[in-house]
Amino acid sequence: MRSIHLVWGLVLCAWAGVAGAAAAPNLVGKDAPDFVLKSLDGRNLRLSEFRGQVVLLNFWARWSSDSREELPALDRINTTYQRAGLVVLGVAVDEDQRRARDFADAMKVRYPVLLNTSPDIGRDYLLQKMPVTILVDRAGVVRYSNVGFKRGDERAYLDQIRELLRE
Amino acid sequence: MTLRGGILALALVDCAATFAGTAAQPAPAVPAPAAPAPAEPAPVAPAAPATPPEAETPPADFKTLDQEVQGMKKDVIELNKDLFVLQEELLFPANTQVAVYVSMDVGTFFALDSVTLKIDNKEVKNYLYTAREAEALLKGGVQEIYLGNLKVGKHELVAFFTGKGPMERDYKRGATLVFAKSVGAKYLELQITDRVTKHQPEFKIKDWE
Repeated sequence: MRSIHLVWGLVLCAWAGVAGAAAAPNLVGKDAPDFVLKSLDGRNLRLSEFRGQVVLLNFWARWSSDSREELPALDRINTTYQRAGLVVLGVAVDEDQRRARDFADAMKVRYPVLLNTSPDIGRDYLLQKMPVTILVDRAGVVRYSNVGFKRGDERAYLDQIRELLRE
Repeated sequence: MTLRGGILALALVDCAATFAGTAAQPAPAVPAPAAPAPAEPAPVAPAAPATPPEAETPPADFKTLDQEVQGMKKDVIELNKDLFVLQEELLFPANTQVAVYVSMDVGTFFALDSVTLKIDNKEVKNYLYTAREAEALLKGGVQEIYLGNLKVGKHELVAFFTGKGPMERDYKRGATLVFAKSVGAKYLELQITDRVTKHQPEFKIKDWE
């Protein structure tokens, strides 16, 4: 009897896993949802105005340790590839905007950092974990979506960026 | 018995007739294709030296194909336009429709950053302007910032404008309009103009009757 319960438990776990995987939606292949946000330097930036350029969109949060590791790597990528037509945009999803601003200043990132003032963005970009790095091609279509960050992931980003820049 | 024999005979006659028909049909059919067959080589022979024009014909085909594609694209755009109009008519019927537009004149004393709209004390729109959008407004563009529905009666529209005022200072101003919504669409315009005498921007809401 106990073994039957165990089997049922395993089946349910497997089903939940499959259902969970199916519920984890992905924006890849779809148009990147447009937004306009205020950057730390006071400018308002709209994503669709970068159509024609490859955009790396990085959603980060101050409390995420992975984000802390990722920001310097993205800054290096930005300095190397911005002349080739890459636009790096950071979006701070912290609720406390003042702290997010202080954090971004402390990290000394040289690309535009936007403050998330719109509640729609998290929903539109299906943000569930931090950080999320999305690559949008010149036509405004999401081509890659990278969730989380480990050291060495920037190499994968480079491959993706080069591929999109070549198109 | 005789009846059976008669039926059988009829069936046989019918069968024979159909067989004869099918057998007879190919007979005239055969010479029919055969007739044009010898006729075909005749035009082919003179057409042989005319191969270079034949090479030019595919572009004509491509041209017609391209024209067809262009025509289809045009149709799609037309259809899209019709659908958009239909959607607007359904979502915002003329009886309840309220549209708010933004226009900007000169802009020497004000650089627009955002507009917040409140109707009957409820925020209905908060719009951030990029440099390009603000520039488009300065060049004479008119933006439809809000489209919604309101019941017939009196309503209050409050618009907050933020941006940089004279001497690059942060600037926030509001404008209010109480308007009566009657049966039929209502059009309101938020006007940002320069008041040269005071060296200040001016914010007005115009009710287009």
